[in-house]
Amino acid sequence: MTYPPILQTPGGEGPQIWDPHTLPVNDNVNPYCFSVNLNGAYYLQKGKMIAYYGEMRFSGIGRGVLDRVLEQNFNSPLHASDWVVAEGRGTLLLADRAYDLNSYDLEDGNLTVRSGNLLAFEPTLRLKQSIIPGFLTLIGTGKFVAASNGPVHFVEPPVRVDPQALVGWADCPAPCHHYDHSYLHGVLGGIRHLTGIGGASGEEHQFEFIGAGQVLMQSSETVLAEKSVGVVGEQSAVPHQQPTQAAPGLGNLRDLGRQFGL
Amino acid sequence: MAFTLINHKMVSAQVFPGRRILSQRGAMLGYTGEVTFRPNLMGGQGGVMSMIGRRVANEDTPLMTVEGHGTVMFGHGGHHVHVIDLAGDTLYVEADRLLAFEDSLQQSTMFMGQQGGLMGVVRGQVTGQGLFTTQLSGKGAVAVMAHGGVVELPISPGLPVHVDPQAYVAHRGQVTNKLSSALGWRDMIGRGSGEAFQLELSGHGMVYVQASEVKL
Repeated sequence: MTYPPILQTPGGEGPQIWDPHTLPVNDNVNPYCFSVNLNGAYYLQKGKMIAYYGEMRFSGIGRGVLDRVLEQNFNSPLHASDWVVAEGRGTLLLADRAYDLNSYDLEDGNLTVRSGNLLAFEPTLRLKQSIIPGFLTLIGTGKFVAASNGPVHFVEPPVRVDPQALVGWADCPAPCHHYDHSYLHGVLGGIRHLTGIGGASGEEHQFEFIGAGQVLMQSSETVLAEKSVGVVGEQSAVPHQQPTQAAPGLGNLRDLGRQFGL
Repeated sequence: MAFTLINHKMVSAQVFPGRRILSQRGAMLGYTGEVTFRPNLMGGQGGVMSMIGRRVANEDTPLMTVEGHGTVMFGHGGHHVHVIDLAGDTLYVEADRLLAFEDSLQQSTMFMGQQGGLMGVVRGQVTGQGLFTTQLSGKGAVAVMAHGGVVELPISPGLPVHVDPQAYVAHRGQVTNKLSSALGWRDMIGRGSGEAFQLELSGHGMVYVQASEVKL
């Protein structure tokens, strides 16, 4: 008796050997690894470097030699402790927990991305904190690398997106909250509201995007660990937020440590 | 076909009056149009008795009804998604693995003992599936989740397939399955091969296997 082979599409061409000359230049090595040709400086999030060829130095923001120049581009001091600057020449490989990596080119544009998903960016871009907590906005011209759980899917507004599935958005206005409370109407809804019996669909809250632009979605609801982006103080017209966790080892100094890049 | 694969971890589905979709709660990623999500009190179809059956059988994954007019995207937990089109036959799948399915499908709970008697029960225990599994039958599409990609293994009479119980995802068609064990003295002293239990599926149909031994 002959058994038929298990017919499937081939999975790949097997291992490939790279050296400093054959590694892609500012491109993906595979879906999960990105190669940066470093000549000068590059911002990257802590712990995302997996290997490098060449001579380079990694210094915390606030310490490097080029800091005076670079700090003009890093307009998110509350975030400084999560980022390092790579300086030197060589090839730098980035990866993040086997998530899919993509590079994006901005030309005099702006793109907002979930802070945990942003891996690295060129110093020609300016980094700012988004109005939406947990998101960072990049403005200017340059390249940056972002991670997503599964490939990124681009959608055009109008669309409502689950907050956890949102990677970021480009060009369109900042989103607004959309709450769907229709399931709480009526007698059954009242009982549900009071007792919790029957449960919620888990889809009562979305981010709603309108206008022209692109919305970036990831194919999963598990998100990368959120990086604290600090707290806007209690001011008029600023919604109240939960205070962030104190940075480890800094006691009650809270965000002071972050501000000084500790 | 109700579901369109966007990429290996996301599907989109059109809903309109006349086509509703049942989906696991919290599995919606985004939508366009006017779509509502209602928690499904029964945890599925078939009235109160079915609900009780599912509760008892521990196959009551929280579901929600998606209806309205628009396009909805689904995905969950970063798991791979596999779309299976049913044309009148039956799919046996664990309820946890159901991402979404068309309302036109009949959902019911099956006792493992029905497929293979006592050994079916043992199989359920060994594979971690429990004593019951969910069956979907009729015409429509199902999106199931798997850790790693899904491999489709066709089986026909005389050509059974042996599957690692942890990698088993679902099967369809006229399939009988039995647990074959190769326990020996080596396993007793902790020098086993790690493949002591295998699921043997034979008959006529399709077996879905994931590229991972992680259960959802």
